[in-house]
Amino acid sequence: MMLLRLTGNELVKIFGKWRTYLGFLAIGVLLPLVLWGISLGGGEIERNTVRQLRENFIVVGSIFNGFLATYIVMNFLWVHVPFLIALVAGDVVAGEGSAGTLRIYLTRPISRGKILTAKLLASYAYTLMIVLFFALMSLGLGSLWLGTGDLVVRHEGLLILPKSMAWTRFGLSFLFAGAIMLVVASLCFMFSTTVNNAIGPIIGAMAVIVIGLAIAGIPIGFFEQIRPYLFTTYFDLWQQAFYDPIPWGEISRQLAILLAYTVGFLVVSFLIFTKKDILS
Amino acid sequence: MTTPIVRVNGLTKSFQNRRVIDDLSFEIHRGQTYGFLGPNGAGKSTTIRMMLSLVRPDAGDIELFGKSLGAAGQKVLQGVGALVEEADFYEYLSARKNLRLLATMEGVPEKRIEEVITQVGLTEWADEPVKRYSHGMKQRLGIAQALLPSPEFLILDEPTTGLDPRGMKEVRELIQSLHHRGLTIFLSSHLLNEVEQICSAVAIIHRGKLITSGTMDELIRETDLFVTEVHANPQDTAREILADLSFVRHLEQDDSVLKLNIASEDVPRMNAALVESGVEVSAIIPRTRLEDYFLEITEDSREHPE
Repeated sequence: MMLLRLTGNELVKIFGKWRTYLGFLAIGVLLPLVLWGISLGGGEIERNTVRQLRENFIVVGSIFNGFLATYIVMNFLWVHVPFLIALVAGDVVAGEGSAGTLRIYLTRPISRGKILTAKLLASYAYTLMIVLFFALMSLGLGSLWLGTGDLVVRHEGLLILPKSMAWTRFGLSFLFAGAIMLVVASLCFMFSTTVNNAIGPIIGAMAVIVIGLAIAGIPIGFFEQIRPYLFTTYFDLWQQAFYDPIPWGEISRQLAILLAYTVGFLVVSFLIFTKKDILS
Repeated sequence: MTTPIVRVNGLTKSFQNRRVIDDLSFEIHRGQTYGFLGPNGAGKSTTIRMMLSLVRPDAGDIELFGKSLGAAGQKVLQGVGALVEEADFYEYLSARKNLRLLATMEGVPEKRIEEVITQVGLTEWADEPVKRYSHGMKQRLGIAQALLPSPEFLILDEPTTGLDPRGMKEVRELIQSLHHRGLTIFLSSHLLNEVEQICSAVAIIHRGKLITSGTMDELIRETDLFVTEVHANPQDTAREILADLSFVRHLEQDDSVLKLNIASEDVPRMNAALVESGVEVSAIIPRTRLEDYFLEITEDSREHPE
């Protein structure tokens, strides 16, 4: 009960700051623009996508729809969402440290563990709201604007998922995307417990993510060896929701790695926060 | 003697190998307004932070209401209200919303929010964002949040810092009224007159070490920090009479003034003794040497920086 109250408090604080709305604003403005751009170039996308199909099949009708647009948006924009998460999750402890408000909270007869848990839950709630909003603005708006139909994705060639299956697959992919973003939120949260300024955790978390993604993309032997151990390697986990059949074994393995990272980040966060001297 | 509300025992703390609190011990009893005096950088705020478990001591222990803070943890802070240094709040929220956030943490009823807002005189401004508040208003809100859980023991760390004389007076009057309502108050300050006006007991620290502590009367009796000046004629007769009074200590003559140590409750007896002996008493002025003492240790700090 108390944890619920504390988490509610944290959400009031998070949504009392203008920076919280930056993420929603960015998604709310940019995604419709990107969808509009995609709709303008829909013919070109369709031609490029079905070129391979036309060599062997007769393609009737259009494969360009809201589903394909959403799939394209997720491919291009998903790596940028961590920045929006970092804006809030990186600030949730450090921002209060620099503002001095943390010290008022920590002089109450409530354990630091509970206070930190409430902050974590609020950060996770914000993260999942961002993912949900991304889903609404891409899949929701895309399907309303551009219609629905079969979904054509690239996996070992071209794979056509029927319309009836596409909704479920998108649901799964956003669930996986949510899991990835919770790892990002946990990383930001860990950085947030280490310093007393809001910028440090944002830069720190983004630096880790950018370096991790670079390692995932550069074909060098050493990088290839360490790649399986980096959580950023699994940033494209959401794409596996569109494979046929869905590789549940591989997905479970990757989710377990992401979970291990999350637990690691949280253990470090709690160890730091429960022992640190509050000097601000 | 009853169990003290606070017992600080052998408290020690270092930051980056620099000892900022060194084997500090003192006790605060129920009903006291306890002054914690020391120049800037003496370790007052660090001590307070340790009393509130914001900072962990390297050695020593703090007992609040008879329970060890180290062993029992944060729960011991039930019954404690605190304002540590400046009053920092969520600037984008109003005073009422800031207090509501704190109230919901501990299940404090809404009615109590209104009470403390009224108590600190912020009723008219309660719904304005804190960013529009003056420094004095923020300090008053700081005291309001400290009072919110209806504490028995109130810790105020330099509550008048940065206030204008009127604001200082208001805060001091508020502290005195809280004391009259039965709160035990721990007041950290580097302002001597503030502590003298408000406190019934005092601990003086310098460079993290306790210089002296006790009730004001004990300090008056046992140290030469508090002096009473007596302007009397004839002075020699007055000196002879005062020398025979058992409650007069450290009698000395300085030009045309007699200086001595005496508890405030003994002053009328001293005056009566002088007048009955035919001595004309033109003035009895309580003075403090705390200021000289402070200047001395502050000067010492400048000459031997840590």
